[in-house]
Amino acid sequence: MDVTFKIRRQNPDMPDRRKPYWQEFLLADVDPTDRVLEMLHRIKWEQDGTLSLRRSCAHGICGSDAMRINGVNRLACKVLVRDLGERIQIEPILGMPVIKDLIVDMEPFFEHYRRVMPYFVNDDPLPADGRERLQTQADRELFDDSTKCILCACCTTSCPSFWANGHYVGPAAIVQAHRFIFDTRDQAGQERLDILSEPNGVWRCRTIFNCTPACPRDIEVTKAIGEVKLAIRKRKTIGIIQPNVSH
Amino acid sequence: MTSLVLTVRETLRYRGAIGQWSWVLHRLTGVGVVLFLALHVIDTSWAVFYPDLYVKAIAAYQSPIFTLGEFGLVFAVVYHAFNGIRIVIFDYRPELWRHQAQAAVAVLVISLLVLAPVFLGMLSHVVDFYVTEQAIAGGKFMDVIVFSIIEQLPFIAGFVGVLAAAIVLAAVFSLARGDASQRGKTPQASPVERFWWGFMRLSGILIVPLVFGHLALMHVVQGVFDITAAQEVAGTLATNGTIGVVPSAVEFVYHRWSYAAGGVFVWRVYDLFLLVLVTLHGFNGLRYVLTDYTSFNDFARRTSVALCTVIAAVLLAVGAASLFVPLEKDIIHEAMAATAEIYELRGEEVPAELEAFLSEDR
Repeated sequence: MDVTFKIRRQNPDMPDRRKPYWQEFLLADVDPTDRVLEMLHRIKWEQDGTLSLRRSCAHGICGSDAMRINGVNRLACKVLVRDLGERIQIEPILGMPVIKDLIVDMEPFFEHYRRVMPYFVNDDPLPADGRERLQTQADRELFDDSTKCILCACCTTSCPSFWANGHYVGPAAIVQAHRFIFDTRDQAGQERLDILSEPNGVWRCRTIFNCTPACPRDIEVTKAIGEVKLAIRKRKTIGIIQPNVSH
Repeated sequence: MTSLVLTVRETLRYRGAIGQWSWVLHRLTGVGVVLFLALHVIDTSWAVFYPDLYVKAIAAYQSPIFTLGEFGLVFAVVYHAFNGIRIVIFDYRPELWRHQAQAAVAVLVISLLVLAPVFLGMLSHVVDFYVTEQAIAGGKFMDVIVFSIIEQLPFIAGFVGVLAAAIVLAAVFSLARGDASQRGKTPQASPVERFWWGFMRLSGILIVPLVFGHLALMHVVQGVFDITAAQEVAGTLATNGTIGVVPSAVEFVYHRWSYAAGGVFVWRVYDLFLLVLVTLHGFNGLRYVLTDYTSFNDFARRTSVALCTVIAAVLLAVGAASLFVPLEKDIIHEAMAATAEIYELRGEEVPAELEAFLSEDR
């Protein structure tokens, strides 16, 4: 099948391409089961070597190739052409400065990520055998979903609150915080809740639900944010998440 | 401003699901109701403080533009109420999120089901009004509206004053606090935001029955067209609330707020609860909306906060004052005089009863 790709391009380094513009590319012999990322490679390799995009593993694990595809944030490597049709529109994710074409400056995103202390904190001595700190399966279940995040920014850049206000910490950072807040072995939960209860923390979430379907890892993002809000409201982390209800 | 334009444009372009559109509608209806609230509280207080202005304001409200606005208002309140309940449910039971899309559709369906009979009821008042002689013919009608708008210049001036006060307050506050960006980037937990999040949900739930009762009585059972023609006041006992020979909107308010059951001024208490809850809920909501789009600039953000605070404080003060002040019979006489003025402005003959009443008064 023939497929037309309409791509939002921009090159701030070149005076005549400083403003974003749309460019169309026609690809022949496209297989319906081809992935969008492969087609972007074909455009770059066969038609226009200046087309710029980020990708690394190309298998939905590294989270490099988030872009807005036909109006919704997706990973280019996880979307098949047959699910999109013969006209495919691609643009960079929104809310961060464009460096070139489909590449955006991810620094603001990672700044929010670092703010929520996305690492395990426990100052107690190690267990006697010097190995891992054990945890029941039920306790592990509480934050299982939020361990799946690959930091692709699909959720954060689908959020109108984040578009309006780049200071908002954003869904991805809240999911990352959730992973540690509800980990019974972690000791910095309260600190993270304090960070997230600042005015540009969880309170900017208006439960618009754009983030949840945008997640390529099917994380229940809005639910995780809701649980963090309740933990702040009720000043506790125990008993916020109802086990076995979500599955 | 840039972030507002960007968000509006991209919200239209991003293919978000129904949750995105519910959010848009919730914002629009919320802002619409808040703007009406400001007008409504000030105008209603005039029934007590400036009865002649109140009579003229009500005359302006009995016009097609405001009638359309009234239907819009009732839609906005009903949708905002049901959608708010949906938001509260999913906030406190986040694990139910898979049902949120169905819930958003259900909110629309329930709103329309409730609105159908309500709109029919409201329409019957509009029809009644236009088939009776109360309706004013073409050109003279515009005269009344223009006249009423000129009469309301003090209100507009007051609003500009409040805006100026908010900007001055924000400037003073900015100077006193210094630039936020210089205060270091350590995030501060905000007990204030934590409180408001809970308050918005609690007050929202409390407001629903109050405001539905208010709408039912003041827009469906007796609409804005009835309060200048009604012989009795809904929600009060007929013996207590019988209105004089030439009814006026002021007399309607007088009887409503004078009605006491078991020594309690029922409608004053009711309206006080409504005033406090709706003003706080509404203007905190407006603060959310404004600060979402002004966070890029400290001064713009502070002005937004100051604006919401000052307007809410003014409305609470004026509204509460009109509810607590003892009602004097004089206001009915003043209203009668203003009613006669409107008759003259329309080029109609002042009814004999009204003429008699006023000359006796002199």
